[in-house]
Amino acid sequence: MFRFVVRHLRCLARVPFAAQFFDVLLLVWTALFHREKLRAIEALETAALRMPGVKRTTHRLGGIGFERDGHEFAHIHGNGLLDVWLTRERASELVACGIAEPHHVFGPSAWISFWLNTPDDCETALALLEEASSLSLLRSATTQ
Amino acid sequence: MRAKRLFYGMLAGTALGALTILLATGFAMLVGQPLGLFIIWPSLILAPFAVGVVAAWVWKPLDLSISGILLHSLSSTLLGVSAAFFLGSEGIVCLIIGTPILYIGTAAGALTGRVWFRAKRDRLNLCMAPILILAVAAEPGLRGSHRGVVTDEIRISAPPSKVWPHVLAFPEIPDAPDYWLFRAGLPYPTETTNGGNFIGADRACKFSGDAVFKEKIAEFVPERLLTFDIIESPPDPELLGHLDAHRGQFELRDNGDGTTTLIGRTWYSLHVRPSSYFDWWTHDIFRAVHLRVMKHVKRLSESES
Repeated sequence: MFRFVVRHLRCLARVPFAAQFFDVLLLVWTALFHREKLRAIEALETAALRMPGVKRTTHRLGGIGFERDGHEFAHIHGNGLLDVWLTRERASELVACGIAEPHHVFGPSAWISFWLNTPDDCETALALLEEASSLSLLRSATTQ
Repeated sequence: MRAKRLFYGMLAGTALGALTILLATGFAMLVGQPLGLFIIWPSLILAPFAVGVVAAWVWKPLDLSISGILLHSLSSTLLGVSAAFFLGSEGIVCLIIGTPILYIGTAAGALTGRVWFRAKRDRLNLCMAPILILAVAAEPGLRGSHRGVVTDEIRISAPPSKVWPHVLAFPEIPDAPDYWLFRAGLPYPTETTNGGNFIGADRACKFSGDAVFKEKIAEFVPERLLTFDIIESPPDPELLGHLDAHRGQFELRDNGDGTTTLIGRTWYSLHVRPSSYFDWWTHDIFRAVHLRVMKHVKRLSESES
């Protein structure tokens, strides 16, 4: 369902709030029928917001975003799919060793996708977020 | 302080829900939609979404977790449903049917608001609120009714000549209702009377709780087809403003082996949205109505043959 909407109904994301609305319905669905996944999403969100300088944001295509210094470096969709912005090399490495998948829309790129299914997945997810947060700080410093 | 803020959030959301209903009714009158005796319901996914967004704005300082939002959205929904029951005289069955979709809408709105109301974008986000409220209120005035037909059939071990008299009229159904919404208070069919065997004759389908649907025969082909227009529905709170049944039909098909296929159809208009959700319920309810009547006709016909 998620893959179908993302691949074939992407144009609907231009409708204001449509993507956010869809994502939040995914989150309600997860809450009602996948309690383990919801617990994992909550645990990851709490842990991520404890990281230095990390704030919650809205991802433009729906989901809970994480930003540092005003730059979004990751977001998690309502179905537990975590997208993280790293470097192209690091993303390839993680995909090659099976830790993550290529980004669900961009494919091979600096972004990776990671499925959060149970609270046990949080450790890996948090490590990815920490890495992405550090990279985001570096990027900000380079830009300035 | 925390409990007070949670309650204010629920109250603000519920007040907004009531406001959108009033605005929607006013807007529908403005664009000339027929209102009858009832109020107009905005989409029961969009309106609770707005309710959830407003509640989330009040709850913002509490920084609720996702589970917290889901739990308090449930409290908000129950508050709104209670208000509809006590102040809006809404029927209990309608509330049972509406609560799941109201909860999903409210939770979706509150979860959106939770992420949406970030400190530095509050002003921009609040500017969007009137647009959202107006969109919710205007939506019912701009949409038409959703129309549909429910068809059910049953095989009866008797020829059409034995079935036909019981289709025209039947005495009180002695069985207690077996469909769970009938047991919860939804009126169920008990008896049908027939004022004549010709087009234009009056009929009456009696339901529990002294509810009577007055009907007029529109098509009459003996032992084959009986179609009737429903000209007056009872002023039942479970029906008003939500659903209109406007035509019914019984068709008898001779199977040529001493049995008959009895087909029952009801045409209806649905006034509540989202129609895909309420359509499912409408089909389920009409199916239960059809089967209660058709099983009774089957029993009477088969006991004679």
